Amino acid sequence: MMELRKTLAGRIALTAVATVILLFLALPIVVIVVTSFSSNAFAQFPPEVWTLNWYKALFADGSKWPAALSLSALIAALSTVFSLIIGVTAATALTRSELPLRSAVYALVLGPLVIPQIVTALGLFLLFEPAAMLGSPLAIALGHTVLASPIAVLILIATLRGIDERLEDAAASMGAGRLTIARRITFPLAAPGMIAAAIFSFITSFDEFYISQFLSSVDTVTLPVRVYNSLTFEIDPSVTAVSAILIAFAILALGLVALVRWLGSGRQNSLLSVETATGVATPGGDAI
Amino acid sequence: MAALTATAPARPRKLLASRKTRVGILYALPVVVYLLVLFIYPIFSTLLLSLKSADGSFTLHWYVEALTGVNLSVLITTLRISAETALLSLVFGFLLANAISRLKPLWAGLAMLVVVVPHFISALVRTYGWIIMLGDKGLVNESLAGLSAPGAPYQLLYNELGVVIGTTSMMLPYTVLLLYGVMRGVDRRLLAAAASMGAGRVTIFRRVYLPLVAPGLASAGLLSFILSLGYYITPALMGGPNQTMIATLINQQVTKDNQWNGAAAQGVILLLLTLAGLLLVKLVSSLGASRKKRSAS
Repeated sequence: MMELRKTLAGRIALTAVATVILLFLALPIVVIVVTSFSSNAFAQFPPEVWTLNWYKALFADGSKWPAALSLSALIAALSTVFSLIIGVTAATALTRSELPLRSAVYALVLGPLVIPQIVTALGLFLLFEPAAMLGSPLAIALGHTVLASPIAVLILIATLRGIDERLEDAAASMGAGRLTIARRITFPLAAPGMIAAAIFSFITSFDEFYISQFLSSVDTVTLPVRVYNSLTFEIDPSVTAVSAILIAFAILALGLVALVRWLGSGRQNSLLSVETATGVATPGGDAI
Repeated sequence: MAALTATAPARPRKLLASRKTRVGILYALPVVVYLLVLFIYPIFSTLLLSLKSADGSFTLHWYVEALTGVNLSVLITTLRISAETALLSLVFGFLLANAISRLKPLWAGLAMLVVVVPHFISALVRTYGWIIMLGDKGLVNESLAGLSAPGAPYQLLYNELGVVIGTTSMMLPYTVLLLYGVMRGVDRRLLAAAASMGAGRVTIFRRVYLPLVAPGLASAGLLSFILSLGYYITPALMGGPNQTMIATLINQQVTKDNQWNGAAAQGVILLLLTLAGLLLVKLVSSLGASRKKRSAS
């Protein structure tokens, strides 16, 4: 298509269309951040008077937000731990072994990502309700792990596939045990991927709404459920500030992932260049 | 494991293979057990519940109920809103992906950042952003009034327009990412070849470019349709009573009416619709693969 429309008018039209669609994606986010500093926190843009009141109100006495925030953080932390355990083992099985029924296992892992979340949430409700576990942070964390662990598995599969297996074989040929190889070769090389998997698991759980809503009770209300409730039932202008904080959080997390990947990208190359330069693999010392 | 390696040194190759298999099964166990217990089994019990009457005997009553009266109109609304969303996110996605695929790498990267970053921000938060923007005194109506558009302010919230605007912005990152990948994969020499043989712009677009990206378009559209089907947050917050979608109904039945069997039947219907859609996606992509092979040879 590059060759087809080189006319100026065509280019201007194209740029205009692309800009409008990009604004369509970005504006709702920008508007929240701006409005969170506005004295009129509801549906007025641009603001007339600037203020930090909504942020102050978040942490005022009697505010329900800190409890929701710490509950969501706790659940997300638990869910991240579960997802990493599942992710590391499953990705190892799917990339480093001869697994019978490999495609069935892979399909099972993809399942929670393609099935409507409301169906998963309903199923979990039917599972935890008879067990009298509604409102338990552990139940919500276990539920979130159903959605977060497949993401961790996929990220870690990509990570392990990106690690040259010759490095591991070389270490084995020089007498390193499997634990040593895992600790000194695979782990350092997979660390950026593991951090990315952890961050994405955390975000997935932290933002999850359907399962939280089905499994929450009056006492255990996660942050997204609290945001939803305040948008539907109780009008609480602080929700704008909360939303802005969530936006900042997500962007920070993505930035962190990008940073870690950038820092980790040079590692394997430096190892492999040692191998080609000397003809002998000297993994271990350089890897850390 | 050490004991395993020591048992039969006579057949090292066979042993290695079986050890790798054993390690694989051992490492696959956590994910398989976890998802069987917390994903497959719950869905299975949802299915059972949807087929159970009050006294425990088999019944199709809940499906009949889910497919008649108000519930049927909710299902139709769900299909309609999902179709509208899929169509719009396909058109916008096509335009944007096409524009980005022609940009210089730096600009393309920045544009993709604007596409991808919102996807990782909570849908709840983005929906709230739309509610602020589309209100009577929101950014959209204020700027339209500033341009003295006739009839402003418009009712952009709590109706179908609002819902479709919201859901489209949620699905757009998927279609853009998918189509961008497809468009980058188009062999531009084919277009150049067509041009060298005297084909006009429209002809090249219609006869060469479109057939090449068609499977991608089909799967992107289907995917956003499927993803919209089970959507709850945006329709519930940005729609009116006439925009109740099936996920909202499931939620109401569970949290308000305590009508689990009905909710289960609707969940199964939603699941079946999704699976049918996924099957179509698979069909389309295998069709596309065979077409690509043909055009390459």
